[in-house]
Amino acid sequence: SSSSSLSTASNSVQFDLKTYWTALIAEINKKLEEAIPVKYPERIYEAMRYSVLDEAAKRAPPVMCIASIHLSIILSILMESCSICCLRFTRLRSSMMTSHAWTTLRRARGRPSNHTIYGVDMAILAGDALFPLGFQHIVTNTPPEVIPENRILRVIAEFARAVGSTGMAAGQFVDLRNGNGNGDRERVVEFVQEKKFGEMAECSAVCGGLLAGAADEEVARLRRYGRAVGVLYQVVDDVMESRRDGGEGVKNKKSFVRLYGLERAMERAEELREEAKRVLDGFVKVYGETKVAPLYSFVDYAVDRSFVVGDG
Amino acid sequence: ENQQVFKETLFQFEDYMVHKAKRVNEALDEAVPLRHPLKIHEAMRYSLLAGGKRVRPMLCIASCELVGGDESVALPVACAIEMIHTMSLIHDDLPCMDDDDYRRGKLTNHKAFGEETALLAGDALLFLAFEHVATRTAGVSPERVVRAVAEMSAAVGSEGLVAGQVLDVASEGQEVDLRELEYIHVHKTSKLLEAAVVCGAIMGGGETVDVERMHRLIVSSDVTKSSEELGKTAGKDLKTKKATYPRLMGIEKAREFADILVAEAKGELSHFDSSKAAPLHGLADYIAYRQN
Repeated sequence: SSSSSLSTASNSVQFDLKTYWTALIAEINKKLEEAIPVKYPERIYEAMRYSVLDEAAKRAPPVMCIASIHLSIILSILMESCSICCLRFTRLRSSMMTSHAWTTLRRARGRPSNHTIYGVDMAILAGDALFPLGFQHIVTNTPPEVIPENRILRVIAEFARAVGSTGMAAGQFVDLRNGNGNGDRERVVEFVQEKKFGEMAECSAVCGGLLAGAADEEVARLRRYGRAVGVLYQVVDDVMESRRDGGEGVKNKKSFVRLYGLERAMERAEELREEAKRVLDGFVKVYGETKVAPLYSFVDYAVDRSFVVGDG
Repeated sequence: ENQQVFKETLFQFEDYMVHKAKRVNEALDEAVPLRHPLKIHEAMRYSLLAGGKRVRPMLCIASCELVGGDESVALPVACAIEMIHTMSLIHDDLPCMDDDDYRRGKLTNHKAFGEETALLAGDALLFLAFEHVATRTAGVSPERVVRAVAEMSAAVGSEGLVAGQVLDVASEGQEVDLRELEYIHVHKTSKLLEAAVVCGAIMGGGETVDVERMHRLIVSSDVTKSSEELGKTAGKDLKTKKATYPRLMGIEKAREFADILVAEAKGELSHFDSSKAAPLHGLADYIAYRQN
């Protein structure tokens, strides 16, 4: 929808993100399908597949990961993406079950959540199994002659940190604990947004860079880029939600719009967009516009949502 | 005279256990500093530092030393495996699973911190385990660390620990035959014990043949375990008809079975220097015949 008045000016290189993304989704889904075959005991694999092989999934984290890899070497290392999807599910799982006290039927992407179909116990176990499966997938399917082991270890550490007790789990925890909000509400909302939404995008961008052998300074910049895009995506979501609901009376207590008002939310989105693009401008000088184009297009997509991913 | 030798060995073994447990506890304490948000880290520490026997870290360190490695190279992975073990206990105790109020004589994690925090603390310990190994291991080639990560993840996932828990949950209140019980036990308990000894040998610089021996070492374990010895609510397993070896085989047969398994394990150890293998001999006996 073009209801947003945020600037969506594109860079000079035209990049067809929709075609790029849609093609990658098909490939990623195929790899994920292969990565989780149904074995004995079947029910746990079915529960794992139910959440991971969701046809409606946009696969944004793996696509961003691959786009970061493309920055310096053109290698589609899709197993990394699988792990990121697995990890993201682990986060989804926790969020589904904890925020709704195990009982409410909540829909993720318009489908009943895992635990309403397989039971809370099976949903917990499916999450416990998916996380190590992600790591197993990386270490057994990444050929060491292509990616040296020290890089694989850095990727593992990055994943684990991103979802861990100072990363997404921290965001989840603070979100739950401060449900009714008081006093430090602004700090809480910013912390939660940064941890719950910034970390995943940050991790995706950083892992792509690590696999490709990016220098520490480049990894640090990819980190800033990913974080900005992740939070940007959420702030724009809040803006869109408030428009849909007609005004600022949004239900979501953690909404940036509810906290700061629509105008400030738009300003924040603009700042984040600028920040992300500034980082990429630095890369253009070294790698050229063509290689950086996919990463630029993510920033624009986060703002304008000009197409529906996976639609035709 | 034999009894005297036995007593001395036993004494040394206890010494060894006490010494190693102290090192492991210090390392675990350092591994989870109190950071923001405090409560989740408190919950992680509550269960991790609750004074378990540290059998898994000890197996890991002992097998590292067996192949000639120093304790320090195995310590990070030893701690990681204890974190995974603790995660499985926290999740196991949740109301939707075994619904236990006490473990090791203390309130279970969700009783002390609430279900949501307990679930997240368990998740966070699992994540930290992998981060810890990847970032804290020093003096080992990246290739070996990656192999250890592969062993750890295989042991905990849907072909390991989780598979055992799935069957365990499904079998509650139902009749289970020996084959099913074996499956539950191998996956729920033995896989992680196996990962502990295997990772120890990998970090310690063991040859492929040593690592293979370590794979075979833990065929099965604590066959005669009863719910009381796990520090769980007494008699719960029997009430809920949960399968145990003594229930299916009778105490006598279960003990004979344990003897056979321990002998097999010690057979694997006979290929190593006997003084270096002594701690693992002791641990095999301890796991099979432990009594509180």
